[in-house]
Amino acid sequence: MIFVYLTYRNIRQTIVLAEQQTDRQMIYLDSSVNCKYIFTSDFIFTKQTIEMALRVPKAPGFASMMKEGSKYTHGLEEAVYRNIGACKELCETTTSSFGPNGLNKMVINHIEKLFVTNDAASILREIDVVHPAAKILMLASDMQEKEIGDGTNYVILFGSKLLENAESLLRMGLSPSEITDGFNLALKKTLELLPTFEIKVNLTKENLRDNEPIVSKVLQTAIGSKLFGYHEFLGDLVTKACLTVTGSDSTSSFNVDNIRICKILGGGLFQSTMVPGMVLKREVESEITKVNQARIAVFSCPIDIQVTETKGTVLLKSADELLAFAKDEETSIETQIKALADAGINVIVSGGKVGEMALHFLNKYKIMAVRLQSKFDLRRVAKTIDAVVLPKLRAPTHGEIGACDSIFVDEIGDTHVIVFKHAKSRIATLILRGSTDQILDDCERAVDDAVNNFKALTRDTILLPGGGATEIELASKLSEYARTCPGIEQYAIQRYAETFEYIPKILAENSGVKSTEILAKLYVGHHDNPNLGFLIGQAKSETTQSNDITYETGDVKLSELYDLYITKKWAVLFATKAACTVLSVDEIICAKPAGGPKQKENKGWDNDD
Amino acid sequence: MSAITTLNPKAESARQAQALAINISAARGLAEMLKTNLGPKGTMKMLVSGAGDIKITKDGNTLLHEMQVQHPTASLIARAATAQDDITGDGTTSIVLLIGELLKQADLYISEGLHPRIVAEGFELAKKEALQILDTLKISIKQDRETLIQIARTSLRTKLTMENADILTDIVVDAILAINEAGKPTDLNMVEIMEMQHRTEADSRLVRGIVLDHGGRHPSMPKALKNAYILTCNISLEYEKPEVNAGFFYKNTEERDRLVLSERKFIDDRVQKIVELKRKVCSGDDKDKTFVIINQKGIDPLSLDVLAKEGILALRRAKRRNMERLTLACGGEAMNSVENLTKECLGFAEDVYEHVLGEEKFTFVEGCKNPKSVTVLLKGSTKYILNQLKDALRDGLRSVTNAIEDGCVIPGGGAFEIVAHQALTQYKQQVKGRARLGVQAFAEALLIIPKAIAQNAGHDQQETIVKLQHEYVTSKIPVGIDITTGEAMEPKSLGIYDNYRVKKQLIHSSTSIATNLILVDEILRAGLSSLRPGGQ
Repeated sequence: MIFVYLTYRNIRQTIVLAEQQTDRQMIYLDSSVNCKYIFTSDFIFTKQTIEMALRVPKAPGFASMMKEGSKYTHGLEEAVYRNIGACKELCETTTSSFGPNGLNKMVINHIEKLFVTNDAASILREIDVVHPAAKILMLASDMQEKEIGDGTNYVILFGSKLLENAESLLRMGLSPSEITDGFNLALKKTLELLPTFEIKVNLTKENLRDNEPIVSKVLQTAIGSKLFGYHEFLGDLVTKACLTVTGSDSTSSFNVDNIRICKILGGGLFQSTMVPGMVLKREVESEITKVNQARIAVFSCPIDIQVTETKGTVLLKSADELLAFAKDEETSIETQIKALADAGINVIVSGGKVGEMALHFLNKYKIMAVRLQSKFDLRRVAKTIDAVVLPKLRAPTHGEIGACDSIFVDEIGDTHVIVFKHAKSRIATLILRGSTDQILDDCERAVDDAVNNFKALTRDTILLPGGGATEIELASKLSEYARTCPGIEQYAIQRYAETFEYIPKILAENSGVKSTEILAKLYVGHHDNPNLGFLIGQAKSETTQSNDITYETGDVKLSELYDLYITKKWAVLFATKAACTVLSVDEIICAKPAGGPKQKENKGWDNDD
Repeated sequence: MSAITTLNPKAESARQAQALAINISAARGLAEMLKTNLGPKGTMKMLVSGAGDIKITKDGNTLLHEMQVQHPTASLIARAATAQDDITGDGTTSIVLLIGELLKQADLYISEGLHPRIVAEGFELAKKEALQILDTLKISIKQDRETLIQIARTSLRTKLTMENADILTDIVVDAILAINEAGKPTDLNMVEIMEMQHRTEADSRLVRGIVLDHGGRHPSMPKALKNAYILTCNISLEYEKPEVNAGFFYKNTEERDRLVLSERKFIDDRVQKIVELKRKVCSGDDKDKTFVIINQKGIDPLSLDVLAKEGILALRRAKRRNMERLTLACGGEAMNSVENLTKECLGFAEDVYEHVLGEEKFTFVEGCKNPKSVTVLLKGSTKYILNQLKDALRDGLRSVTNAIEDGCVIPGGGAFEIVAHQALTQYKQQVKGRARLGVQAFAEALLIIPKAIAQNAGHDQQETIVKLQHEYVTSKIPVGIDITTGEAMEPKSLGIYDNYRVKKQLIHSSTSIATNLILVDEILRAGLSSLRPGGQ
């Protein structure tokens, strides 16, 4: 046993001594008197545990109060500038995808699915943003996607450029609240100004059907920013589909879900077609594969023998009974099918299994049988043919029977599809063709945007000049407004106005044109013509007889390049609100990230070997 | 080394001056952290949870909850703030600030050698006096809309931006006025809060009725009904397996078909009873009336089909708490069986309609006559905005209810603190012995509230306090801070009111917590059973 005297102050030192002497022996501390003894006992007391025992008194300050692993940042330098930095980074990712000449991104998400797209909403969704400030911007763009379905990149771009401008104001010495006040004033003014730039084309919610060319032009702008070159073809196609679906009476009931997309690999985009009705990638169950002037019954239950919920047992005593039972079942199902045939039904659509015996009789009575797996598809088909979905197998009444011009199985490429073609259908399907899955997916997103634009049109028909014309006009009007503001917020309003410049600027930059030149031209031109914008056009070249793409400034009204007021309104609103939120936060407290399996590191995915 | 280590060498401890230093530094650290949140011009804090969800808030209680405070002293204070929130729904930031400041002031004297016990005595005396001062400042109120709006506005503006606060102010007051019945305590559960991630905050509104977060489950059910009778019930309309293990035996298909039918009969009969009632009440003069069923239990597809054919909108699996609210909102009573269904059991609403938002469906039951339960429909573009609104709304509702229950309010904007400081400084003269220093410390500590408000609004704290004190001494009217100018103003004329019970609770609990903390002379922590390196 070793005795070492030590005092509280040099405890560390002595322990080292003890360790040397006893080679990590058992040591016991006694503190009942001022001097302490160390002697072997039944406790191990290493250097580490001594340190731990002294953990209660901690350095003062806030950070020590929180759970381990949490982060705490505050103040201008630490929080605000870094947040702005993060948003800038986010913006840099999406900027190059903006506009008709935006570049595609290749994104591989966490389940290793490949995306090739220039749709900002999809890119952001797949890259899984975690930085809180960048996330706020992303949420704003998400909201734009939900509210309008287009203009998501606009939100990111405008929001982060606003923050970038705010940063320089902050460095000038303005306080965040002064900047947000200014931004809010500018936003108010912008929302006042926007409708005044309207291009009047006599489009109203009621006469959309009579103005197919204009509607088509609007949708072309949307598609043009995703799939430039195909925009005219697809724009016309989507317009046709949308107008088929909208009843002549009410435009308010337009539902995006009523435009279906059926992607079929192979062929080229220009082979895409529109079918009024439904197209399903399935085959029919029955032998009959084509019916004209169909009368249809739709069932949500299986087409088979009825069963009880409670378990049933067939009680048979002899072979005769067994035979009788089998026969009984046959007749029972035949009577049911016959009843359908008698009601004039020649097609049945079922949400459940079609039993073999039932199928036999269906073939016998020349009834086509279609089985759908999804409940929603079933409802859509019912809507297309105007039938009522029956929950039980029985002959439908007159009102419950659906009608369809023709139902047939078609082969597109090597894919079999069932086509429900009905001229009076409230659902239209676009059959998209393309050589790869990625192209088809991208095409689908472009069509989605266009359809959403149409929906926006049914809500509000105000059209604004596109191609950055609105933005330049806003920029000049807002800076005039800024000069009339007496307070310090005028700096913020001025910067807000300048932010709008980025839209035509990036459009030009992405097209490989000198943006400063274009901007200068636009500003000069706007003195006389508020509809001057940056145009990307196709012109027949005299010399080569081929289509050349031209980049110049021009009157967007003449070239019919329209943006929707409602899209711009919400985009600017969401972006400004998000920017103000990021600015108004001066402290961030991050909890320790929750557990869960660690993400697998994707080692060497880019290597050749 | 303290004696505890003799008993358990793994225990941690801190003693006397060191213990006090830990407590004081923790309390001050926490106060420092929350100081920027106080008042209408306080800043927001962003909280990122472990799962990466964002919360932006300036509500003290929310912050303390989400921050995962681990420090023993800090979590004690956090609990006091939670208690404050439970009892009054407001003043959580203030309580943390006040505790921090009380300890800071006490520290000045303790470091000069004053025994903590004497400071505590002084605090106790000052607390009693402060409560009396509080009583003299009471302004009794009538329950008119104007006053209540002023109270709600004062509370909400400290939680939200000005625009958002003003949107909620009217909603809060109207909701309370709708459910409040004279002579009965207000049950805030009768104000349902429904969030919709849609459009902007400005679209939030008060629905005089109920909003349910689900819709009809049958495609051919009506989506919108006018003048609807509403049957609130808890009746199973779906096939339920018997508890005993039952089975059917049959010989031929005929028998089976009969069994299939009989199995359904039980449910079909119930549905038929409801359909009969519908036909009875929606006939004759009431031909254009419609019928809605809101059922707490399930309704199976076959029953839905029958109901849809009758043009009845049926909602299944409604939340239990909504059943009570429904009858309060539209009248009628919740039925548990289909026997004795009469017209009197039915509620009534002018408008029942479905609103689809992406994947989610909402059903509005609106236009009820004299509803005793209402719904606040909060809208906002993102989740964090909705959360922020929800927290603020709850506090706003609480503050209006508090005011109604108290029957009085206190001038806000730091007015009480200025008055109390002045009065306590005078009271100090009557106190004998060293406890006087405790009273002095208490009086000084109170000033942290107006100081923080001034500082957050961008004014010089000392200058503002001096101005306010001067104004009060000369005019003898309680004055608060005008946050835009930094000058003195009269809260009463501007309609800035605080809750009486908030202040009362604040003084009570902050004093007792602060007293507790300064009287601590040793912090012990039991040893850990396993000794892993790194001190986990």
